[in-house]
Amino acid sequence: MTETANINIDDALLIEQCRLGRSAAMERLILKYQNRIYNVILKICANPDDAAELTQETFVKVIENIDRFEARSSFYTWLFRIAVNLTLNHCQKAVRLQTKSLNAPDDDHNGDAGQQLLQEFLSDDSSPDPAAIAQNKELCRIALKALMGLDDVHRAVIVLRDIEGMDYAHIARVLGIELGTVKSRLSRARGNLRQILETVCDERKSKNRRIAK
Amino acid sequence: MNVNPKIDELLNSFIDGEFSPRQQTEVQRLIAHDPQVGQRLRQLQKCKMLLASLPFADAPAGMLENIKASLEKKALPYEQPSPLEERQGRRHLFVRKVLAVAAMVGLMAVLASVIYSIVTPSAPPQTPLVATRTSPGPVEMVKPTLPALAAEFNGRLELKTNSFIEVDASINKAIAENDLLNCITLAREPDSSEYVLVCSRKGLSVLMADLENIWARLDSATMLIQTKEFGRPVVVNAVTPQQIGEIAGQDSFDKSIEVAKDFAALNNMADLLPGKEVLTAINDTTSAFVIIPGIPKPVLTGWPKTIKESTTQPAVAGAKVNLTITVIAGK
Repeated sequence: MTETANINIDDALLIEQCRLGRSAAMERLILKYQNRIYNVILKICANPDDAAELTQETFVKVIENIDRFEARSSFYTWLFRIAVNLTLNHCQKAVRLQTKSLNAPDDDHNGDAGQQLLQEFLSDDSSPDPAAIAQNKELCRIALKALMGLDDVHRAVIVLRDIEGMDYAHIARVLGIELGTVKSRLSRARGNLRQILETVCDERKSKNRRIAK
Repeated sequence: MNVNPKIDELLNSFIDGEFSPRQQTEVQRLIAHDPQVGQRLRQLQKCKMLLASLPFADAPAGMLENIKASLEKKALPYEQPSPLEERQGRRHLFVRKVLAVAAMVGLMAVLASVIYSIVTPSAPPQTPLVATRTSPGPVEMVKPTLPALAAEFNGRLELKTNSFIEVDASINKAIAENDLLNCITLAREPDSSEYVLVCSRKGLSVLMADLENIWARLDSATMLIQTKEFGRPVVVNAVTPQQIGEIAGQDSFDKSIEVAKDFAALNNMADLLPGKEVLTAINDTTSAFVIIPGIPKPVLTGWPKTIKESTTQPAVAGAKVNLTITVIAGK
């Protein structure tokens, strides 16, 4: 993140130089976006190895087709469209990307602590601090698992909005869908995510009751 | 809590700041009036907050190198040729095309020559043909014998006469007197005789001088000389012994042909004139017909008056003349 933040070069200039075959421009373009692309892909596919491979494939495809980029949309949109399409295609093919059941036994000894934190987080009375959430690895792990519980299309929309920070119009251009579809998918994605998280909390309560008995 | 999808969409758009200020105010009013909507808003806000708080994952180290390596691997098979290589490629292609055309033309030429050798008739005979007669009837062309091949002059003399026996006897006698028996091959039929004479030019001249006396008994005397070009033979009608001697006496075959042609033309012309005055005048040494002041009297050249004296020399020495004399009994 820090590497890309320091690179602030106009995309159009880099693309032009890239078309002229200047490898330095190509390298700077990759460095500028590689982390953001990798982060989004990882959040969608949930597998670091697959995410690295898909990121690499995205940039190779972009560089190979840089002459076809017509600048009707921004390079950023074009780049993310390629990345998300590749990732969604990969998700459809890969069986291993199936979400692990949240009911499956947790191999993490700190699982209960994370679920307790989640319960506190979801309670109507709490006012959580985002910085505190980010530092809590267990809560993040549960959140990622819940994210994987969403359908691919819903996951893609919510990742682009809440993780990458795109506005609705941008998401519509990246995914090639209508703005209304973005709204409905995002609404359903958040609703489902909330439901999954509540299910995790309910399971913890049931478990504690069984132990008490 | 009952979830209303429409309310959820409104709240999510409100959370994400997708509404105009007026719409924002409307939603805030709705939230203020309905506690359940407010509760739902907080639930959705927490979901958003949870995801936004997830740690950012940097790309693994070496991503750039991996991308470059992947690009290089893909580019290798499709590497663009340089302009120089492209020009050389075009030149190479052109040379290959030219060579292919040349090879095709050469192949067609060979094929054409093979087809031509198959289709065209066989080559004409390499040796001259002489006229000969082996049996009564029309004269047929046969290949000469080996002695004839060696001769520089090949000719055929056809003599037609009503006095076959006398003429034949005179020829036999002249051959014997001139010691030419060894040079003669004789084929005799009831009404014809064929003498194949292979001797020197001088021997032929001597023989012709001795045969001069039989000419009065001949109905026709025709000489045929085969040319080297294998075309039509030179035919000298009404040929005289002197003319035969002169034709055969030339020192080269070409000259013999030229002289024979001259005699053929002269004899034909003389034969066409009424009374044959020209030939008579030429032969008559006392006639005033050809005595014109300033112009010498025409004479037949090449006729050696002293031929008789040389008969003692072997006639076969340096045999270069082949003459077939055919005597045919007239009807």
